[in-house]
This record gives sequence, C-alpha cells and structure tokens, in this order.
Amino acid sequence: MIDSVLPPGLIMILGAWVLPFLSRKAQAIGVLVLSAISLGVFLLTPTDQHLNIGLFGLTLDVVRIDSLSRIFGIIFHLAAIISAIYALHVRDVRQHVAASVYAGAAIGACCAGDMITLFVYWELTAISSVFLIWASDNERAYRSGMRYLIIQVGSGVLLLSGVILRYVGTGSIDFVRFTPEGGAMNISAMLILLAFGIKCAFPLLHNWLQDSYPEATVTGTVFLSGFTTKLAVYALARGFPGTELLIWIGCAMTLFPIIFAVIENDLRRVLAYSLNNQLGFMVVGIGIGTELAINGTVAHAFCHIIYKALLFMSMGAVLYRVGTVKATELGGLHKSMPWTTGFCLIGAGAISGFPLLSGFISKSMIISAAGEEHLFVVWLILLVASAGVMEHSGIKIPFFAFFSHDSGKRPKEAPMHMRVAMGIAAILCIALGIGYPLLYSLLPYESDYHPYTITHVVTQLQLLLFATLAFVVLMKAHLYPAEQRSTNLDTDWVYRRAFPMLIHGGAVVIGWADGLVRRGFLALLNRFLAGVEDMFSERGMLGRPWSTGVMTFWATILLAFCLVLYYL
Amino acid sequence: MNIEEPKPDAQPSTSWFERPENVRLLIIGLCAACLLLVLADLVYENPHPHFALETTFGFQAWFGFVAFVGVVFLGTLLRMIVRRDEDYYDR
Repeated sequence: MIDSVLPPGLIMILGAWVLPFLSRKAQAIGVLVLSAISLGVFLLTPTDQHLNIGLFGLTLDVVRIDSLSRIFGIIFHLAAIISAIYALHVRDVRQHVAASVYAGAAIGACCAGDMITLFVYWELTAISSVFLIWASDNERAYRSGMRYLIIQVGSGVLLLSGVILRYVGTGSIDFVRFTPEGGAMNISAMLILLAFGIKCAFPLLHNWLQDSYPEATVTGTVFLSGFTTKLAVYALARGFPGTELLIWIGCAMTLFPIIFAVIENDLRRVLAYSLNNQLGFMVVGIGIGTELAINGTVAHAFCHIIYKALLFMSMGAVLYRVGTVKATELGGLHKSMPWTTGFCLIGAGAISGFPLLSGFISKSMIISAAGEEHLFVVWLILLVASAGVMEHSGIKIPFFAFFSHDSGKRPKEAPMHMRVAMGIAAILCIALGIGYPLLYSLLPYESDYHPYTITHVVTQLQLLLFATLAFVVLMKAHLYPAEQRSTNLDTDWVYRRAFPMLIHGGAVVIGWADGLVRRGFLALLNRFLAGVEDMFSERGMLGRPWSTGVMTFWATILLAFCLVLYYL
Repeated sequence: MNIEEPKPDAQPSTSWFERPENVRLLIIGLCAACLLLVLADLVYENPHPHFALETTFGFQAWFGFVAFVGVVFLGTLLRMIVRRDEDYYDR
C-alpha cells in the first residue's frame, strides 16, 4: 500500500543526481534550489502523516511526521539552505552531490517511522558525508575520512544488529521508545544506544568528530556540523528519553571537551570540541526526560545548529581567505574582515547564552529542568560547562582569530554569498533569542517556560561577565596558556598509535620468539651433527680402525649374550 | 585559496581595539558591569529557587569566575600530558 506522501528528503537525494549534468555554476545553485523546494514540500505536508510500504513481509513506516520529526525536519532544511548559500562559490560537483544527498538523508532519517528505514538513511548520511572530508584532496583528509567512515559505518552495523535482535525478540521494527519506564535495558536496546552514542560522540566514542570535521573543506565542515550529531540527538530523544545513564554521559560530555578546547590551536578543532560540549547539554536533557527537559533539548538542538553553523562559517571564511585557522597564525583580522568578525561575535554570544540571543532561551531550559528535578550536582556541572563555553567559543574563537596580537595579515573580507549566509544565521540567532515563543510553539510538548525573568537574566549575565573578567585577569597575570603549535593527544591516539604500536610490538615479540626457537633448534642440530662427525671421523669411536683383539672381545661378548638368551 | 600575505611595506595599522586607552576603557566598563550585576542581587528576589546555594549573594558571579579559572587551569595541566609536536601523527 502506498499513500501519496512524498518521503521528506527524497527530493534532495534524487535531485542531487541531476546536478552533474548542470553547468558548474548551476550545480551550486542547484543544491540551494533543491533544499528550498524540499522545505516548501515539507512545510506543506501535514503533521501525523504516514507512508507504509510492504517489503519482504515487513511493513516499513517510511514516513512518520509528528511534532518531534517536524521540528528536526525544519531545522535540517534551514541548515541545508544556509550551508548551500555559503557554498555558492564551490565548483566541485562531488561536494554538491554529497552535500545534497547528506542533508536529504538526515531529513529522511528524522522522518523514519521504522528502524530499517532509519538504518538505510543512517548509513546514507555516513557514506555521503565522507566525500565532504575527502574533497579536501590531501593525504591527511583522506586518512581522516577513512577513520570517519569506518566509525560511522560501524555505528550503522551496531544499529542493524540491535534492530535484528529486537525484531527476533519482539517482532517489531517500529522506531519507538526502547527503554520501558524504570525497566532494565535489554541487549538490543544497548546495541542501539551504542550506535546512537557513537554518532552522538559520547565520551571515548567522540574523537571521530574532532578528527574529521576540521579536515573537511571550508564548506563541508558547515554541512557536517549541522546533521550527523543532531540526527543522533533526535534518535536518542525518540528512543531513550528519561534514561538516567544519559544524564551522566551528558555531564561528562559537557566537561571534558572544554578542557581540550582551552589548549587546542586549530580553531575549527576548538569548534569541534565545543560542538561536543553542546551535545552534552542535549544528552543531559534527554536523560532527565521530563517534558521541560525534552523541550529544552529540542530547542537547544534547533538553536545550536544555527549558531554552530555560523561559527563554522566564520572560521571557514578565515580559512578561505587566510589559508589557515591556527590561532598561532591569526590575530587582528577584525581590521580587514569586520563583517565576519561581527557575525562571529553574534555566534559566540549565542553559544555562550547571552540574553537576547538564541542560546539563552534554549540552554536555560535544560539547566532549569535539572533544577526542577533537584539534580544539584548535574545543575552545578552544567553551570561549569556554561562558563567553559564562554571560555572556548565565547572568547577564544573570536579573540584569537580577530583581535589578540596583530598577525599583520590583511585578508579580504569574506565573499558576498558567505556574508549573506552568515548574516542569515546571525539574524536567526537574534530572532530566536527575541521571538522565542515561535520556537517554543514548535516544540514537542506544550511549554509555559519563560526565559526572561529578572533572576535568570541577572544570574546568567553574572556568570558570563565574571567568566570574561576571569579571562581578563588571567591574561593580565600572564596565566592564560599561550597558543602553541601542537597536536594534543585524544582518544584517537588509541587507534592511531597504540594499536599500531601494539601490533608492531606483537610482531617484534613473535619475531624474537621465532628467532630464538629457530636458533636453538639449529644449534642443537649442529651439535648433533658435530657429534656424529666426531664419532665417524678417523679418530672417532666408530670411524677409527679397531684392533683384532678388541673385535674378538666384542664378538665373544655377543656370542655369550646369545647363549644366555637361548637358555632363558 | 586566496592567501594574502602581508605586504612588506605595509605599516601595521592600529584599530580602535588596539589602542591601550580603549582597552583600558573596555576593562573598566567590564568591571563596572560586573559590579552592577553583583549589586543587582540586592534588589531582586529569586521567586522560584531550586537550591539554597542559588539564593546566596552573588553566587553565579563568583561561581562563573572560579569555574573559568578552574577550566583554564585544568587545560594547562592537561597540556603537560597530551601535548605533542604538530607533526606527531604525520611522522
């Protein structure tokens, strides 16, 4: 049975394959047009639509648009449109096709009603997005993309294993909540959680993010920042709301990346750590699982996609014009890139949660939810994390790129289309911060949350401005760690260095043992041969001439022995 | 890539943000804002506190300061452990 609803994202996925036949300039515009058409169709599709397809005896719920999928669908479309405007200068058909398929797959995934459909889109996002990394066309990007692909596809394999086990156990492939209220998790739910966790960059499973995003092309990173991890947030919010474990995983996620971000030199990598930290807030919200917390998570994902794209776009513009985003090589760019500087500052303010900007009205919902549930430690951790966000994204990114010591570089301002894309994102950051009721009306649950109370505004400003004051004090006291050219080890060291070293070490040990056995055996053999040679040599016992007397003696002994045997 | 190397004869121009008196102005402004925000704690009351700590005087102010310093300090410690040369993985 096939209904008349078109699967969201399909226009972008199928339309992408027309792009190679267009002129190089039209390809870039094509992605934008496809995204816009797709958004239009998506907005016209009414809520609570389903499209069921029978396949191999299973009924696939290919389309399910409810309040949760709708808001993610909308923000994914917006991200695709903004990124497409930002990428208008790109003349590389690979990137355009990859970006369109990738965005379409993410949109399709958040509207998937069953796990098989989700799996197909899940893997499609992985396979399409890796081309945005490979498009950098260098050895580092190639290797990093390979690692990214292995990890992403691995996540899909775990997902499929979990789904198969679940199907065998329950006969259902519906994408619904996997954890019963207060119940224990079974093995299939654990596998699915692990699959989601990899894509959501859970602690210790996170490093593909910091490894790959900074290696992608200028525009590729902007696309990447929007979809993969937020798809995982959506999947977690759908499958595991109220799972207490997620609160603590989320807390760890908010904390450790900020410490790495302090010492990281590559500013796009700083943003990747910052992305990781922001995902932590969302995971905490999913773990708390109350209506306010889930609303906060969804709202935060919405706002986050925009301001994170804005920050990645501003650093992308710097990379595009200067050729590097190493903090050690930048500084003073505000003089020749004032627009980019301004947009970056708005993004930095939004992520830090300044009042009137988008982060303020979304992150606070999650922190309030922790307060409502009287989770004191969680609440404190989220406050520390908020101060940490101020450190890396609020201060470090804009300060070291655009102010700080003058690097003497005077790059041109970002191209017009990049400024337009950044401008739209910046306006959205402000619009969401002021016109928050519009966003709240899209959230999965009814919301009567009011972010602009005197208490909230004052305490938030206290936190942020005193954090800024701390930065000034540390700078004046020369206690702020200087930017250094370096590589900082993270968990990717385990598979980039430890495993190869272990394998190499294992080979050395085996080689050594093998040599020892071989040499020992050869020595034994040589000694035996030498003995034999000795024995049969002219002076050896068996080789030398024996006298007649000796021979007679031994012949007599032999005869005597035979005689004894005979009589026994 | 549009890499623009600085022209050798170009004088490093100073912008508004680089003049010491303006930097001092910004810092004084920040300090004043901080002071006002702490004093603001005297004039309003949190109608819906969740924890006792929340209502103590200037809590988020000192907490923000301490948390920031703590994060930077931990970062400095972490650098001692994880820092390697830039081409570490390329060798």
